[in-house]
Amino acid sequence: MNLRRLFGRQPKSSSVARERLRLVISQDRFDVDEESMRRLQAELMQVLSKHFDFHVDEVRMSLKQRGNSYVLTADFPNVNANKQA
Amino acid sequence: MGKVIVVTSGKGGVGKTTSTANLGTALALIGKTVVVIDADVGLRNLDVVMGLESRIVYTSMDVIENRCELSRALVKDKRVEGLMLLAASQKNNKDDIQPEQMKAICTELRATHDFVLVDSPAGIESGFRNAAAGAEEALVITTPDVSAIRDADRITGLLQHEGVEPINLVLNRLSPEMVRKGNMVSQSDVVGLLNLKLIGVVPEDREVIASTNRGIPLVHNKNSPGAQAYMRIAKRLTGQRIPIPELREKGFFSNILDWFSGNK
Ligand SMILES: Nc1ncnc2c1ncn2[C@@H]1O[C@H](COP(=O)(O)OP(=O)(O)OP(=O)(O)O)[C@@H](O)[C@H]1O
Ligand SMILES: [Mg+2]
Repeated sequence: MNLRRLFGRQPKSSSVARERLRLVISQDRFDVDEESMRRLQAELMQVLSKHFDFHVDEVRMSLKQRGNSYVLTADFPNVNANKQA
Repeated sequence: MGKVIVVTSGKGGVGKTTSTANLGTALALIGKTVVVIDADVGLRNLDVVMGLESRIVYTSMDVIENRCELSRALVKDKRVEGLMLLAASQKNNKDDIQPEQMKAICTELRATHDFVLVDSPAGIESGFRNAAAGAEEALVITTPDVSAIRDADRITGLLQHEGVEPINLVLNRLSPEMVRKGNMVSQSDVVGLLNLKLIGVVPEDREVIASTNRGIPLVHNKNSPGAQAYMRIAKRLTGQRIPIPELREKGFFSNILDWFSGNK
């Protein structure tokens, strides 16, 4: 258990700002708007749901700049093999 | 042959006009010849920040529409030799000027002055495009807040697309105390987020408002931290190499000194 969380301490607003900016700036530069990201996420979930079970509201996607390139990360925690597959 | 530098930001209210007035004055104080151009047509402000509002007879619109020669439209600064203002028309709007016309004005002015600083309006539309049209270099102004930083990145992309180079970053209104408490992104955070070269950091300084009230640019008040920051940026613009320190909070002792000298 994280001590900070135990005492209800929130992360500093400056580090929240930094992370949010990192994300929104790389999306702006990449010219991907939130709507397209949402659509991409929906399509990915559709494909993956044919093979795996997962919790829809746990899925996280992000696009980040690393050096001069971009890294697209899709996080599907707690996947289980799909019974029907 | 002088340099034409557009002062821009994307987001409004971050200090473009304050920076143009102070850097123009600072450059003139170190002996350069300078013209500051108000490109905020319809919402001009540079004249009042510099305290020159009562002296304006002609504007850039009069030059464009051939009612007046460019040299006659320039208003001499009251306090510093070598500093001139080209005012914007209040009766027109941003679309009444074409980029080519702005470019022609800048080209003519840079032939006879060391620096031409163009105060851009907020936004990324025609007003910004006109302001940037004649510029070879840019100063992007941002404050340490999320929306200003995001817009600074956006405007940087547009400037790069136009081939403006170099683009330097001015971080305005930084409060070291808030950075220390974790309530404001730091100088190095901003530099890490934006792909720009930092040319200076201007602290949050209450003297800015007092100097605007009086129409006397801050750099005339040599003791203020904001004035010193602008003087350093001006020197860097002339090619002097002056390191950029991380801004520090005022210590207890200097606060006491300020209090006794009535600087509070
Ligand atoms: N370093 C500073 N410390 C404190 N106040 C500041 C500082 N810089 C600017 N301000 C204040 O912020 C306000 C906006 O500044 P300014 O008019 O220069 O911004 P702008 O980017 O030109 O705005 P606009 O987009 O409307 O043209 C003014 O009230 C000014 O006094
Ligand atoms: Mg302005």
